Amino acid sequence: MSGKKKTMRGRDELEALLPFYLNGTLSGEDLLAVEDWLAADAEAMAALAEAEMEAAETSAANEAIRPPADALARFNRALEREAGPAGAASGNPFAALWQRLAGLPAGLAWATAALAVALVLYQAVYGGFGERGGVEIAGTEQDEAKRPFALVVFKADARMADIGAFLSANGAAIVGGPTATGVFRVAIPGETGAEYDRVVALVAAQPFVEQVTPGRRPADAN
Amino acid sequence: MSAGADSASDRELVARVARGERAAVRLLFMRHHARVYRFVVRQTGSESMAEDIANEVFLEAWRQAARFEGRSEVSTWLLGIARYKALSARRRRREEGIDDETAAAIPDDADSPEVTAMKEDKGAALRRCVDGLAEEHRVVVDLAYYHGRAVSEIAEILSIPEATVKTRMFYARKKLGEALKAAGHDRGWP
Repeated sequence: MSGKKKTMRGRDELEALLPFYLNGTLSGEDLLAVEDWLAADAEAMAALAEAEMEAAETSAANEAIRPPADALARFNRALEREAGPAGAASGNPFAALWQRLAGLPAGLAWATAALAVALVLYQAVYGGFGERGGVEIAGTEQDEAKRPFALVVFKADARMADIGAFLSANGAAIVGGPTATGVFRVAIPGETGAEYDRVVALVAAQPFVEQVTPGRRPADAN
Repeated sequence: MSAGADSASDRELVARVARGERAAVRLLFMRHHARVYRFVVRQTGSESMAEDIANEVFLEAWRQAARFEGRSEVSTWLLGIARYKALSARRRRREEGIDDETAAAIPDDADSPEVTAMKEDKGAALRRCVDGLAEEHRVVVDLAYYHGRAVSEIAEILSIPEATVKTRMFYARKKLGEALKAAGHDRGWP
């Protein structure tokens, strides 16, 4: 590469850069230096494997720390002390979501609430930072009104990551819900009825899905 | 419910917090609390201290949201607040005298990671060696490996120059290599 500046750095310096190469934050000359090293030195790949092991064990040590189960409740109390008691629910959608969930039977409410919050978070995180990929976020309400969809109930023990990964991989997205009975509206991709049926069947076959009810099909949308 | 409204980014959330929306600060809490909590536990060695400090971090975000200029990631901003509060709490504890929990969490220098790692497999030995690093080294390792932070972000969180981040990482990894070697797991460097 003609524009590539030759970097001659000592191993100590390159070893110090490996964690940042692994976490994907290295750039510029530092990145080139590590890439050159990895390409030219057989020991570099072994060093990278060692750094990977460090990363895995460091992550495991951190993940082993379990935040307290009542952390949010404690924070809410602290927030009330700080800002005073909450007034009427604001117009934001989370307040509306919580109000709706409050009307559910207790067991279903907690399971659905947990899942709904997880999905909202997942969509917010992955939808908000598109370069990471993830769940497609629906467009305007007008757009949504024309999109084919299915009504889906997820199992109480469904994992956010599984749902998010599946929806993302198949171009689907949560666009509404949950209703009072825990039903989510999921936009289904596809220009034809056959494609819609295929994706709906795929949704129904997932282990984290309790029930699927077909909604608007592509042919019905026009 | 509009999915578009739910897809607010961290920065949008902070803007909403600045307008006094409690739902936004709760969402910020749900999104970042676990990592902030773990970050504080790793620095203080105390879960009870970390509970209070993590809460304080988000209350501080509630108070300071209007001053957030968006020059860094929200998560970096939160970790910076957490770092400051953890250091302050540790300083107070030192002044007031330490409690049993904190005392129990302080590594026993006489029982070095090398010795206790002798009979462990390499992964377990490595984890113990990471835990046994000096705090100024371990925090850099945690921020890079677990929190996925760049050199510049770690410099911001710890309020140190970027060159110092690299130097600390070098020494941290050197210490790990030496500790592992002493435990019978020579990895060729240093």
